[in-house]
Amino acid sequence: MTTSPPRTRSVVVVDDSEAIRHLILATLEDVGGFELFEASDGEEALELARRVRPALVLLDIHMPRLDGVEACRRLRALPETRGARIVMLTGTGIDQEEAARAAGADLFLTKPFSPLDLLRLVSELSAQDEPGEDPPDQSRFPRP
Amino acid sequence: MREPGQDQGVSTRDVDAMLGELVALRREVADQRTQAVAADRQLERYAADLRATFVAERERTQALQRSYMATVRALSNAVEARDAYTGKHAERVAAYGLEIARAAGSEVAGHPEIEFGFLLHDIGKVAIPDAILYKPEPLSVEERRLMERHPVIGCEILRDIYFLGEAKAVVRSHHERWDGTGYPDSLRGTEIPLAARVFAVADTLDALTTDRPYRRASPPAEARTIIVQDSGSHFDPDIVTAFQTIDEGVLERIRREER
Repeated sequence: MTTSPPRTRSVVVVDDSEAIRHLILATLEDVGGFELFEASDGEEALELARRVRPALVLLDIHMPRLDGVEACRRLRALPETRGARIVMLTGTGIDQEEAARAAGADLFLTKPFSPLDLLRLVSELSAQDEPGEDPPDQSRFPRP
Repeated sequence: MREPGQDQGVSTRDVDAMLGELVALRREVADQRTQAVAADRQLERYAADLRATFVAERERTQALQRSYMATVRALSNAVEARDAYTGKHAERVAAYGLEIARAAGSEVAGHPEIEFGFLLHDIGKVAIPDAILYKPEPLSVEERRLMERHPVIGCEILRDIYFLGEAKAVVRSHHERWDGTGYPDSLRGTEIPLAARVFAVADTLDALTTDRPYRRASPPAEARTIIVQDSGSHFDPDIVTAFQTIDEGVLERIRREER
């Protein structure tokens, strides 16, 4: 991995629903000093993530063009993005969680997600020193 | 699109295209409805978290308020434990003070920290030696000078307790007199903080209506008369006027510690 100049830590929010995207962005504004980015499908997310190298990706599981599971798998495969913490937004159902886990997601938030859980997760992440270097630790944020 | 030369009628291709568009449109509408429902459920979840946060916040505030009160009472009890004869003086004065503040319609009654001030008014006495505090004979000039520092000492003791707010003004100014002959700052009239003016009446009322080593308790009516006589000299006349509107039974219940 090449060393890159210091950059603002960023979060990429990926959801095909504009309403949900806006809710998440409004919730995370000014939390943890992250720069926020949004994408409306997996393709857009990949392109964006390669550019901004996010510390965290919030990834909806159901999206047109490229869904969350496949996007997650590709994020894990790319050198620029493989270190990101990936949180999958899933529907209810153990099969969705298993698919996301198999694709390399670190954590899950079940939709409709608790905004408090989201805030806890992001502020915990912002408390960590170096983004994208630590191995993800599931125990730090147990699934609700 | 119409075929060239086909001016009339609708071709099969047109119908297929229209049907295709219709199907796409219906799918789009259905998708939008699904998204709207999902967004709605998500908003409900936000509302639920907001409600939970509000309840937790309110409980925390109440718990904090209770622990403030318990802390203040512990401090107040520490002062009272030293003093054999005053008994529950601070508790009664606080109760009288709140009644008088309510009767005066003053905004003082709405400040919970004022009760803290009433309870802690004599905390500075912890720094006064027993030999002076319990001396049966009149105090010497030097002893009196030390005794009269207790409001300042009390205020110093409480200085860094931010939640006491205005209560500290009660502690410092509870021996001031309306005519300016009190201590420690010789404040006059409305220079004296309102809560301290309220306190002065409550304190005198309790002193007069409880037994002391040097005299028996006065009946409430007599105490009332004495307070009215000192209106304008010792006490704020407006506060005394408000005090006179308080029902005798209310004061009697406080005296008997029935509150």
